[in-house]
Amino acid sequence: MAMIRRMPAEFGYVLPLLLLMLALFILPIALMLARSVTQPEWTIEHYQDLIETSVYLRVLGRTLQIALITTVACALLGYPLAYWMRDLSPQRQVLAVALVVLPFWISILVRTYAWIVVLGNAGVVNRVLLDLGLVGAPVSFLYNELGVVIGTTNVLLPFLVLPLFAAMVRIDDRLMQAAESLGASRATVFRRVFFPLSLPALAAGSILVFILTFGFFITPAILGGGRVPMVANALDLLINQFARWETAAALSTVLLVVTLACFAMSRWIGARGATS
Amino acid sequence: MTSRRTILKATAFAAIPGGLALPGIARAQGQVREFRMVEAGGLSGDSIEAGYIRPFTARTGIRVIRENPNPLGKLRAMVESRSITAVLYELGSLSVAIANAANLIEPLDWTAINPEPMFEEAKLPHAFGYQYYSTIMAWRSDAKPLTSWADFWNVRDFPGKRTLPDNVTLAVPMALLADGVAPGALYPLDLRRAFRKLDQIKGSVSVWWAAGAQPPQLLKDNEVQYAASYSGRVAGQPGITISYAQGLLDLAYFVVPKGANPSEKAASMGLLHEMSVARNQAVAAEVIPYTGASPTLEALLPQARLGDFPTTSTNKAIQVLGNPEWWAQNRDAAERRWQEFKLGL
Repeated sequence: MAMIRRMPAEFGYVLPLLLLMLALFILPIALMLARSVTQPEWTIEHYQDLIETSVYLRVLGRTLQIALITTVACALLGYPLAYWMRDLSPQRQVLAVALVVLPFWISILVRTYAWIVVLGNAGVVNRVLLDLGLVGAPVSFLYNELGVVIGTTNVLLPFLVLPLFAAMVRIDDRLMQAAESLGASRATVFRRVFFPLSLPALAAGSILVFILTFGFFITPAILGGGRVPMVANALDLLINQFARWETAAALSTVLLVVTLACFAMSRWIGARGATS
Repeated sequence: MTSRRTILKATAFAAIPGGLALPGIARAQGQVREFRMVEAGGLSGDSIEAGYIRPFTARTGIRVIRENPNPLGKLRAMVESRSITAVLYELGSLSVAIANAANLIEPLDWTAINPEPMFEEAKLPHAFGYQYYSTIMAWRSDAKPLTSWADFWNVRDFPGKRTLPDNVTLAVPMALLADGVAPGALYPLDLRRAFRKLDQIKGSVSVWWAAGAQPPQLLKDNEVQYAASYSGRVAGQPGITISYAQGLLDLAYFVVPKGANPSEKAASMGLLHEMSVARNQAVAAEVIPYTGASPTLEALLPQARLGDFPTTSTNKAIQVLGNPEWWAQNRDAAERRWQEFKLGL
């Protein structure tokens, strides 16, 4: 009873945002996705078509694969960075956070093209490698999956580092001190105390990176050299060039379901981790 | 000091009722003050402004507001939502065929356009071809020159990395020409044969490009030595040699979205007329080396770099025009085959 009486007041605060989201975001998306079953009449033919030809589903699979690699790369680079930032003095932490956020101020297109200047055949890195005689021919960093992963990791790293750093700063130093005073080695303290405490934030950041990679468009188009088909690029073609909105809506629905499933799975794993 | 502002404000307020009422009345009487067009943007948009809008506005007093970009999806959204915000819409030849089949565009009033002489393929009942462009072979000037797509495919005698468009409608005709199909016998396209030919070259293709800016950059960076590129991106570029031989000639059109305001449509036909005038086309071609559909344009182009333009009598004769209707009917199957091919790269 108390809850029911309390609800309207609390509900009032979120109502404006909720209505805005509903009218301007959720409703248009739902109408667009509904085209996959309502056009030209009630039908499941667009889904049958997706399954029968299977090629777009395989593009989706490739996208998931790239997203997974990007997530692992972000975690491997981001975790040590956040760990190192945690032990800096407060002033230096501010500086470090500013440096992590800095790429957000630069257009994603500029950053993508910058990689061409750095890693291309005639780029800085390849020229140095060739001049030092370390390689005989330019190394193909770009225009393949490696190029896409480098580009997406560069853009998405802050999304992992910032929440992870915030969570690590909140971990109480006394817990580690207590473990050390009980005779645990530094490695054991990290493995048994610090890492488990930082794990939820790592998982949350990783799932964020994973889901954001699904929608990447410019980076795969430029740095993938067209040989890494991603689902966003396929959708652009279907919607903008071929005006095949129904097929695009069906594919988008599948993408949305997969995304929600990934999210639900991460929550489920998180919940299990918390109870065990 | 303040008086002038106040006066300005006062006049502005006074003008509002009239200003609000005016467009309705004016439209009913066919007195259009301005209309909007959607075009491809960039230098191409600038060329429309300089070549066609300027003389049109000078002649009629009607302002034209340009918007971009021009995806087909936006046109479909405009027509289906019945809010036609632009009376002229630029489309590529394939998009024209798709839009026509999907009933998204209206017939033009060719009597009102009253065009000066134009190439036949530019005069469609429902589309005005205003700008020729081509997808051609281009290479670093220090590489061995090519004369055909067969040479482009021949990586043994013409060594070097390639870049091809990530676009099935361009890659398939190129592959068939490379395989020896006569330009006149291209359509209907033999997809199986084309993809077999594409399989042969895929190992030498470093980049399947998506943006027109990529091929010239890739050539300059020495990332590739040979490119298939939009002609306007590579023509006249230092360090790059081009050939229009077997180039895939294509046309950009203007169409009128279905349900457009009739008076605006009537006014816009005057702008299309300006687009048929050779003198105006020459001004536009100064901004971007794509050309209008006048057969007499050649004499007005800068003679020193005549080879840069796609529709000079020499260049037009050696190129191949596509068949947008075939693509409109077969695009799904071809595109799926293309995605399949790219998954196997």
